[in-house]
Amino acid sequence: MKVVHDLEIVALRKRYGAFTAVDDVSLRVGKGQFVCLLGPSGCGKTTTLRCVAGLEEPDEGDILIGGKNVTNDPPWERDIAMMFQDFALFPHMTVEKQVGFGLEMRKWPALKRDKRVAEVLKAFEIDRFANRKPGSLSGGQRQRVALARAMITEPRLLLLDEPIGALDYSLRETVMIELKTLQRRTGISFIWVTHDQNEAFSLGDLVVVMNHAKIEQQGSPEEILQRPRTPFVAGFVQGNNVFHGKVEDVRGEEAAIGTAAGRFVVPLRGVAAQPGQAASFSVRAERLRPAPPGDWPNRLATSCRTVEYFGSVRRYILERPDGEVMKLDQFGAEPAFLAADGAAEIGWPTEAGVLHG
Amino acid sequence: MSTIRPRSLPAYLLALPAGLWMFGAVVMPALLILWVSLWGGTAFGPGNPITFANYERFFANASYRGLIANTFLHTLMLMAITGVMGYGIAYFLVMKVTSRAWRTALFLAFIIPFWTSALIRAIAWVPFLGVNGVINQALMGLGLTERPIEIFLYSRTGISMAQVSLYTLMASGPVVYMLAQIPPSLREAAMTLKAPPGVVFRRVIFPLTLPGVVIGQVLVFLSVMADFATVQWIGGNKIALLPNLILNFYEGAQLRAAAVVSVVLMACMLVGTFIAMRVVDIRKLGT
Repeated sequence: MKVVHDLEIVALRKRYGAFTAVDDVSLRVGKGQFVCLLGPSGCGKTTTLRCVAGLEEPDEGDILIGGKNVTNDPPWERDIAMMFQDFALFPHMTVEKQVGFGLEMRKWPALKRDKRVAEVLKAFEIDRFANRKPGSLSGGQRQRVALARAMITEPRLLLLDEPIGALDYSLRETVMIELKTLQRRTGISFIWVTHDQNEAFSLGDLVVVMNHAKIEQQGSPEEILQRPRTPFVAGFVQGNNVFHGKVEDVRGEEAAIGTAAGRFVVPLRGVAAQPGQAASFSVRAERLRPAPPGDWPNRLATSCRTVEYFGSVRRYILERPDGEVMKLDQFGAEPAFLAADGAAEIGWPTEAGVLHG
Repeated sequence: MSTIRPRSLPAYLLALPAGLWMFGAVVMPALLILWVSLWGGTAFGPGNPITFANYERFFANASYRGLIANTFLHTLMLMAITGVMGYGIAYFLVMKVTSRAWRTALFLAFIIPFWTSALIRAIAWVPFLGVNGVINQALMGLGLTERPIEIFLYSRTGISMAQVSLYTLMASGPVVYMLAQIPPSLREAAMTLKAPPGVVFRRVIFPLTLPGVVIGQVLVFLSVMADFATVQWIGGNKIALLPNLILNFYEGAQLRAAAVVSVVLMACMLVGTFIAMRVVDIRKLGT
């Protein structure tokens, strides 16, 4: 049996004049997956989403929703719903009318529609505002209305463009948990665009990191956090220390990389490396340790600039001899093992290094 | 935010100069006209008894009643034409012209003619509409007609053509403003909710621009109802609407009759504006 993907993007390309907004992006979303498109602003994640919605016409490539090629279909013929960053609520319609709009467009009979709208308003806990207009609602209430309006049509795909970016910080975590539960329960695939990696890693089954119109890496949150494949991903994801240099030597399953801060040994893990070639690798902050045991080949002398305490983590900001800054994380419940303004030799076991490429 | 609180003394003082001016230039003359329209007797002076006889005489005349109906009909037709054209122009300027330079250029082309006075613009139509005017020359040049068409000048057609050009901007301007306020995401949201473009316009765009449409219609209504100059210049002495009657009576030194027609015209305009206010709360604009 052929596997039907909820969404398949094939070699998508979109240009605005000389500027390429989306460059050769391909992506497959399985049934009921939660996908997060993550990247800095201007990386093409929103344009990709808008191409899926049909709000932008791609220059090249194909978009398949539920196995059907919709590349040339207008938005109103696609099996999608979308949530906008500003929620895009219709200011002249009551909440009730607004949420029922999608069903009205699908020509549901009025009685059946009213019943369904009432159910959905109750489920989203906005039945109290049924007769109010968006202007008199708070940010959180508007977000619920926008979500109810999109979800009531039970689309195959829900596209969300920074859907909680406009909410108060304190509200975001609650809303995230609710949305994740909702996504699991309904089995609708969510494509969630965000520049916030906390959102992406806590919500996504699949995280797609984009930069400069291209996909840098896609995978589970764990893959991307533990095995960044490019220096951009390693640098963009919090908690990585990135080193740039040259391959000096390849021996067995390990490569020696010469950098401005010294020479370090990194496992290859299938990455091809030739001596003399430029290379980069990263080490997560929680894998660094002070006073490394004698058999660790990777070590360097630093000085501790400041210590930040977050409760679960104690973060040391270290300065390398060449002036670059490194981060070292310690479990927050342990007593501090470095003092600010002190010199510290740090190191990491070879297997903690991640060679990019 | 203003530091002057509403309903405080400084707030009233700020309103005082304009208030005094409006009272002296608008309210007082209007009351005077109302008073004069009620003068009875044969002599012309403030000692006359107050009576409704002038109004009775006016409304007893079938041709005057017909003139009121005519004026309304003419105005409604102008509102319909300028409304549709104005909306089209506004929609085109805001939604279809994506280049900023083009939008500015077109907007200027649209607005610059209005830097001249309404009277000049009305008179400027005469050489266009005349028997040997530009329109007839063009029609004959194109071979569309053999002899000049005489219906343009000194006719309702000609008056309407001139007034459409004079007042379309009024119908269009407020719509441009309202359209420009609508975030593009509203149209996109409606489309992703399965609304095709026609429905998006009917259910989302048009309702949101309705206040602009109504304000534009009120402006056109008031202007056309009061426009005696265009009717006079393009219509010659063949065509008259209610405001021309005022002029006729005035020139014939029938000041009481002129006052009566003025009051009737004012009443018609007040009723029209009142109806418009019932449709849309203009005070809510800009909030």
